[in-house]
Amino acid sequence: MSNDGHQEGGFAVAADRLLVPLSDTVTVRQTVGYAVRSGLERSDELEVHLVVALPHEADLPESRHHTADAEELLSKAANWVREDAGSASVTVETALLGTDEYLFGPRDFADTFGDYAQEHGIDLVVLDPEYQPGATAQMLQSIERELERVGLAYDEAPVERPARHERLVGDGTERFDRLFAMFWISYGFYLVLGDPTYWFDLVTGAAVAGIVSVSLAQITFTFPLDRVQSPIRTVRFAFYVPYLLWEIVKSNLAISLVILRPSMPIEPTMTRVNTRVRSGLPLLALANSITLTPGTLVVRADDQRLLVHTLIPSAREGLFDGDLERAIRFVFYGRESAAIPTPRERGDTEIIGGDDQ
Amino acid sequence: MIESLRFWAIIVLVAFGLFFTFVSAVGVLRLPDVYARAHTASQADTLGAGLALAAVAIALGWQHATVYTVLLLFFVFITNPTAAHAIARSAAESGIDPWTTDDTEEGESK
Amino acid sequence: MIPSGVTIEEIFLGAAALFVVLAIMMFYRAVAGPTTQDRLLAVNVLGTNTVVILALLAAGLDEPWFLDIALIYALLNFLMAIAISKFTVERGGVL
Repeated sequence: MSNDGHQEGGFAVAADRLLVPLSDTVTVRQTVGYAVRSGLERSDELEVHLVVALPHEADLPESRHHTADAEELLSKAANWVREDAGSASVTVETALLGTDEYLFGPRDFADTFGDYAQEHGIDLVVLDPEYQPGATAQMLQSIERELERVGLAYDEAPVERPARHERLVGDGTERFDRLFAMFWISYGFYLVLGDPTYWFDLVTGAAVAGIVSVSLAQITFTFPLDRVQSPIRTVRFAFYVPYLLWEIVKSNLAISLVILRPSMPIEPTMTRVNTRVRSGLPLLALANSITLTPGTLVVRADDQRLLVHTLIPSAREGLFDGDLERAIRFVFYGRESAAIPTPRERGDTEIIGGDDQ
Repeated sequence: MIESLRFWAIIVLVAFGLFFTFVSAVGVLRLPDVYARAHTASQADTLGAGLALAAVAIALGWQHATVYTVLLLFFVFITNPTAAHAIARSAAESGIDPWTTDDTEEGESK
Repeated sequence: MIPSGVTIEEIFLGAAALFVVLAIMMFYRAVAGPTTQDRLLAVNVLGTNTVVILALLAAGLDEPWFLDIALIYALLNFLMAIAISKFTVERGGVL
């Protein structure tokens, strides 16, 4: 995947109707800017169709906030277009796609865009290289290929993206760090299972670890490894484990009492908690920790908004006090970052379901 | 002395492991809906399995097989909540409404 | 302090037997459902129990290679749970 604008020959001549699929990425602003700029270079009149494709059915209660976010993104992007267009005559159309069906994977998205393009006579799709519709629907294959399949011309916006999104290419040292870490992790694992003193295991282990690190390093570490921070995090994580175990035992006993009591006084509720951790590994660690402590179960972890099912009130209170969140922040960001207000004080908690559902 | 300490440690760990697994079994049978069941199924069971595995690790002592047991412990602790989360999410996405105290009359599916 | 007549091996075997009983309790939920996710959950717990039983047998019968099977079983169990829960949602999409 190169960063250069990629154009299908023959289509780029009179592109006066552009389709720009938007998603909440760091490069979406640049993509919109590029679409307007390049469109105006080719012709004087421009019609920009901004669309957001929703991966979920819009009427599901948990995806309502997705719809709201999408509308916000659309109105923001429309302003960007007007900003960039200046005095040139640019028409902006916005649309929400996929509200009535469940979109899964690039194929569905490409089909939806194809239908839309046909309806509105779109000439060119300007694609955000980071385009990622919804955090749940990971792009398994490239959407580019699927767009070619439905016969849509597309142009990938040449954006400057932050280093952490450099997939496959990456700069040298970063790539080496990942390979290095992955190699030693898999080699260590191999030797733990095998016999570290037997030469055969040492040789085959090195070979296997080499293959694994070359093929999987870029997938395993979706974030840049920091030569100082990553080992420190590992150490801090080792401190976190006993704390987590203690929490698990404590709340397990509480929940055991509730379940074994014949009257079984449970109060299941769905709650939403907005967390202050970055997505990726910190979010995974937090969500898994929350799930591990009994009485709370993460149902959805699409982004910072966790949908948590709680079984008993005390577990809910514990969740809203945010002890685990603070601990995770300590692990990943250090001691100073751990001292933040509890989710309750921030107003980041919300009980959904239970009474109103 | 060390031997008897080890012996009793194993007994206690196995006993608690059995207790928590029992809680998880009772929970899975008694609780009203899939979300609530996922709580005990994933957590009480994880702790139960973890304690039992710890007992095995202590019994095996310092040998190669112990490393396996510790690895197993790690796997159980990482994979079980993830699996429970995946199941709960799939339940949410296929539109199963969580049971609440309001709809007791709808029938506690036991 | 160690009670005479009881060996650690016997304790492990007894515990394994009790775990089997608990696993059988789980069968009720696996059969009764009512939803696919309920069954999946029950089977997942059953799988975890199986792993523990294998480990206990490894210690009780002094057959350390049972742990290899337990390790593989744990990974397969996890994969199964993920695969099926994905499968039930994403309209038959493969993972």
